[in-house]
Amino acid sequence: MTTLTIPLSRIEGHARVVINLAGERVLSAHFQATELRGFEHFVQGAPAEQMPIIVPRICGVCSTAHHLAAVKALENLAGVTVPPKAVCIRELMMLGQVIQNQATSLFLFTMPDLPGQAGVPSLFHLGEVHSKIAPRALAVRRAGTQLITLAGGQFIHPVRAVVGGVSGGIAPRAAAEMRASLNQALTRASFLVDAYWDLFEGLHDRIGTLGDDSPTYYLAAIDRGHAYYGDRLRVMAPDGSVQAAFPPCDYAEHLTDVPIEGSYSDGTLYQGELVRANSLARLNIDPHPTTPMARAYTERFWQEWGYPAHAILLFDVARGIELVYAIERAIELLEQDLDGDDLWVGCTLRDGQGCGLIEAPRGPLIHHYEVQGGLVTSARFVIPTQHNMLAIERALLVAARRYVSSAGISLELERAVGRVVRAFDPCIACATH
Amino acid sequence: MNQTSSAQSDSTAVATPTFAVLQLSGCSGCEVSLLNADVWASQQELVYMPLVLSAEDLPPVDTLLVSGAVYSDDDLHRLQQTAHRARRVVAVGTCALSGGVANLGNRESARRVFLDDTSRRHLPRLLPQLRPVDAVVSVDLYLPGCPPTPRLFEAALKLGEPFEPAKTVCQDCGRIKTRDRPDRLARHSGVAIDPEVCLINQGYLCIGSSTRGGCGAPCTRAGHPCVGCRGPSNGFISRSADEWFAAIKRVFERMTAISREQIDAELRSPGLSLFVFQFADYAGAPRDIEKVL
Ligand code: SF4
Ligand code: SF4
Repeated sequence: MTTLTIPLSRIEGHARVVINLAGERVLSAHFQATELRGFEHFVQGAPAEQMPIIVPRICGVCSTAHHLAAVKALENLAGVTVPPKAVCIRELMMLGQVIQNQATSLFLFTMPDLPGQAGVPSLFHLGEVHSKIAPRALAVRRAGTQLITLAGGQFIHPVRAVVGGVSGGIAPRAAAEMRASLNQALTRASFLVDAYWDLFEGLHDRIGTLGDDSPTYYLAAIDRGHAYYGDRLRVMAPDGSVQAAFPPCDYAEHLTDVPIEGSYSDGTLYQGELVRANSLARLNIDPHPTTPMARAYTERFWQEWGYPAHAILLFDVARGIELVYAIERAIELLEQDLDGDDLWVGCTLRDGQGCGLIEAPRGPLIHHYEVQGGLVTSARFVIPTQHNMLAIERALLVAARRYVSSAGISLELERAVGRVVRAFDPCIACATH
Repeated sequence: MNQTSSAQSDSTAVATPTFAVLQLSGCSGCEVSLLNADVWASQQELVYMPLVLSAEDLPPVDTLLVSGAVYSDDDLHRLQQTAHRARRVVAVGTCALSGGVANLGNRESARRVFLDDTSRRHLPRLLPQLRPVDAVVSVDLYLPGCPPTPRLFEAALKLGEPFEPAKTVCQDCGRIKTRDRPDRLARHSGVAIDPEVCLINQGYLCIGSSTRGGCGAPCTRAGHPCVGCRGPSNGFISRSADEWFAAIKRVFERMTAISREQIDAELRSPGLSLFVFQFADYAGAPRDIEKVL
């Protein structure tokens, strides 16, 4: 048996791909997370009210999602209903998160894979023809950070969501400034998404596939008009039919945790079957974004690739549509009154259990806490990247079979491995936590 | 960003300064902040940063930014293997400086769970104790913060004006301290926070008074007490955690009417987020204040 170990870059965190071969036969493909910090262990004993401050540090790329999942879990425990303005400010935090994340994933992580015969090492190596791309991409992600800071306080690890609401509003002047900068970001984002789309089609022509893996289940926590602040998990079957939605507290009835050998991350099965989360899952489940530019892009997307779409690399283009949507939607929300006294209701944190759900950039994120005497006695983090782990492994197997033959191992294999993994935009710090 | 690699550049030209990023056990938040800094259009050339650049190995480099704590045998190995290739080593973020949030995992109960797990023996193992970067290699510059602001990265790469932090977060914050001495904590009250008045006067245990300034106090401005992610202010850097802790308590005793016992219980509660940043395990040797941004 031959074992190929392929290191990975341009993803969040430390991971590698291991492919086992017997001659020209691909036996197995593994996606292994090689880091661990152990949040589920060390938050035991922490005061429950500190969780929204501690858990964003699980991941600096999707910190806002953890901040909000923590607050929602404690609110579920306290039985408190959050005022509508506070929900709106929290949604703005999430939109900032989505802008920052999708811009990072699209331009810094995957765009270098697209040009030429072999791609380039980084966004900064795209060359003269594409010299406008890097500065614009960085400016768009910065607009996302700016929105997180405005809505969430601190710029990477937000603090503003508190149990029962938010600790402060957004003044009309600050909102107007943010809208102006988002309008600029929108122009840049649509330029970038168009450029991405062109290069992506070039890649498609060159390699002749966008992924040959068969359909799976899809999972997303989105409600109409609340793309990233849903309260239920929705599921689509491989044939495109929509399954029953379920609340976060029922996760254990639907999602099973599967340890992965040689990895610090577990994987997830939905009712015993493979499942995918992240951008394409959301787009399949909610195929008509409400904002004008995102809608136009989506129509083009369905026209070119059909509905529902299953090819793995389409996760990337779907992320571009979401980038545009998040900017447009944030501009809409910032038109509303987001200031005043009705941002926060008082409550008491009693003992018991609570589950909080948020649609993070990589899919549904659930925090499940047990609290006694104000201290956390157990914490479970149900992580979006884990939902995709087994789907990534199967997609890698399919790709490996394409590029290993009697003629040998194609040079394209290592590039294909990178493309498949990046399409899922895995976050290893989250997956292992 | 200069796109020609230094190896290819004309040997008569002044070499472009290079930098690299080594990521140990952390959350990538430090890198996300770096991506927001104005360093990408500059003459500094990035030669290694797996998060955004596919490159085989870390070459000899002018400035090595190290983020994250030394938590696994793999972290230790990579740090020892690469630090000597750099002219300057910069420790980036609270994890690299003092362990940061993962330092909570140094509690005995938490460690036992990790170390007992042998099912994943092909993976990097956690060390018996988490260490800051300067416990392993010598550090030329420290960038405190969780994460450090983009401005600090610019200063570390010698771009723009030199950076002068405010002494404490209180100076950055600008809320006014009054004579009101609250007799209870305000937690979960739902009472709107006055944007002009010090949070301690409103019943919150904010530790901005002993925390290093320079962040612009984004948290307190958003109505949340400072949890001290910038670490100790100059006066406390080389003192013991206990002295620092006593100073924080004195502030609360002076400014509130909450009993000494309750303040003590609040601050000492296990894993309180203050501990995440402020009372972590330092390298032992006192740090040179001049090296801390
Ligand atoms: S210092 Fe903070 S932002 Fe940086 S890696 Fe550690 S937890 Fe993340
Ligand atoms: S206010 Fe305190 S917790 Fe917030 S960024 Fe500044 S030092 Fe860190």
